[in-house]
Amino acid sequence: MKKWIFYGSAFLLFFIPAILLIVKSFTPVWRWGEPFTFDWTLRGWETFLMDARIFDAMAISLVIALVVTFLNLFTGIPAGKALSHSEFRGKSALEVLLVLPLFLPAMAAAVGLHITMIRLGLANNWLGVAIVHLVPTIPYTIKVMKSGYDRLNPDMLQQGKMLGAGGWHVFRTIELPMLMPSIRSAVFLTVTISMSQYVLTAIIGGGNVITLPIIYYPFLQSVDDTVMAAFSVAFAILPVLAVLFVELVATVLTGRFSISKRGAL
Amino acid sequence: MKKRMFAMAGVVFLAGCNMTNGDQQEQELSDLTWDEITAEAEGDTVRLYMWGGDEGINRYIDDYAIPALKEAYDVTLERIPLDTNEIIQKLETEKRAGQDDGTIDIIWMNGENFKRAKENELLYGPITDQLPAFEEFYDTESLDFAYDFGTETEGYEAPWGKVQFVFHYDSSKIDEPPSNLEELSAWIQENPGRFTYPAADDFTGNAFLRHILYGTASSVDTLLEEPFSEEFAAGESAGMWVYLNEIESNLWRGGETYPGTLEELDRLYSQGEVWMTMGYNEARAESLVADGIFPDTTKAFVLEDPGSIGNTHFLSIPYNSPSKEAALTAINFFLTPEAQLAKLDPQYWGENTPIDPSKLDGDNLAGFEELDRGATVLSQEALLESFVPEVDAAYVPWIEDEWINEVVSD
Repeated sequence: MKKWIFYGSAFLLFFIPAILLIVKSFTPVWRWGEPFTFDWTLRGWETFLMDARIFDAMAISLVIALVVTFLNLFTGIPAGKALSHSEFRGKSALEVLLVLPLFLPAMAAAVGLHITMIRLGLANNWLGVAIVHLVPTIPYTIKVMKSGYDRLNPDMLQQGKMLGAGGWHVFRTIELPMLMPSIRSAVFLTVTISMSQYVLTAIIGGGNVITLPIIYYPFLQSVDDTVMAAFSVAFAILPVLAVLFVELVATVLTGRFSISKRGAL
Repeated sequence: MKKRMFAMAGVVFLAGCNMTNGDQQEQELSDLTWDEITAEAEGDTVRLYMWGGDEGINRYIDDYAIPALKEAYDVTLERIPLDTNEIIQKLETEKRAGQDDGTIDIIWMNGENFKRAKENELLYGPITDQLPAFEEFYDTESLDFAYDFGTETEGYEAPWGKVQFVFHYDSSKIDEPPSNLEELSAWIQENPGRFTYPAADDFTGNAFLRHILYGTASSVDTLLEEPFSEEFAAGESAGMWVYLNEIESNLWRGGETYPGTLEELDRLYSQGEVWMTMGYNEARAESLVADGIFPDTTKAFVLEDPGSIGNTHFLSIPYNSPSKEAALTAINFFLTPEAQLAKLDPQYWGENTPIDPSKLDGDNLAGFEELDRGATVLSQEALLESFVPEVDAAYVPWIEDEWINEVVSD
């Protein structure tokens, strides 16, 4: 019964809108009260493909998002672990401090960081853009990873160590498999947020780094639903690709051992 | 000996100042003849930063200008889509950080953005006196080019195009569109719910309100001549608030809410909910009708009284453009009659030219006169007859604030 509710609402709230968006990208504007006539059109996708840089833009968006994701996990996992498993003075103050960047207007952050990036020689450069994308993503990753570690009993890690495993071994075989749900949410959030940055990318990338939003966002200022739908569909594919990639890396990293172990659990 | 050292240090210091200001290079560049400039530009790349949300405009650059410029001058043009606000922001920060080798060669802008760029000394120039096409085909004395929303241009930007504010209506639902503010008000009373305008913080909504201001102020001329002050504006705008509050109850949704942007108004029009829309570009409906977004029966009108506000938009070169010769070459190309004629063609951009027709020879003139701009575009005579210039840019934020107090809150 519960399953039915899940599938029913997923179908209604997710599947149907997604299908409608795809249909919309191939059909002209429909006016309220008009009969449903499907005059298929490729105009939306022609506009999408018109800018010759569109595939480069998708590729660079993907690369930046993956680098951002890597940096996020690299810093977010240890930070989450520290906030969850250890006690130290000023811990709650630090937690608040780490979330603060989310409340900063993007433009303010961009302007301040731009000067620093110019001095470091990272302005107008994709690496600079990737670093700047950490501002709106890392707070989420730390939060997500902290709650992931909250659900992971420290005794389990202790047990692994008592059996003679080193830190990396413990991480690979115990923490990583058990944190996978949290990592998945962190990756999805990070990729989606990184890929929808316009202001930060525009200022720091300075037009040298053309990501998908740089081409796509100006088109949101139009009434052309067909074109907007085409861009949105293309835009939605990217996070899926990125998540698949991260999933692949995690499978390789945890190795067969973890899979068999997960089966045993 | 010591004295000499001091003097030397002074010279070195001065030279250093000169270098950072870029004066030296500017000096050299303005000494060059046009042929030397185009020769310098050969093989260079020019990066044109401009808003990228219009397919027709993008196509004009990508399909027409890029190949034509390559062919004529061996200059590679790159179009970078970026909002003007971000472009200026980027330049301001680069200026503060002392970055003298930038990435932008040409910016497309006008009004508020130009004011900001000029006040912060973000632009290279003056440039217009170096452009042969400007000298040859444009009315160099014209006030349209000397002032940009009340800011003196002083040659720091070259006119690229000209647009006028027009209304569009569905002729299958309206036989005779209104021609002045009284008729518009009467039409709104007779057709409740069929008209609205974007909120005052929208570019187009604010321009609509300025038309009402022109029509209800004591005289348009004093409004244009008198410098902006809050007291003066408050006195002149009394009639505008009365007018707006009078029509409010018969607007779409009884005026309880306004479309936040022009796109929302366009969507209402496209769905047939309202019967009129508006916009600051007399040719903009052409592609919307062709793509089936606006009904085929869409036509245009302007209010003969108070007229139709028009403005010019411009091209500029930032102070830290890495290739100013190529930027000048490209801007000059954009100003030529050939490039302007292609821009007027509705299959690309469809936008009007700031060229002075009396300075064109027979062939060029015939090209402009024969071009059919499309059924939704008013005739050149009708547009010229109703043309009124823009008021001081300071009115824009003032109207934005006051509109909330006077119209929305009560």
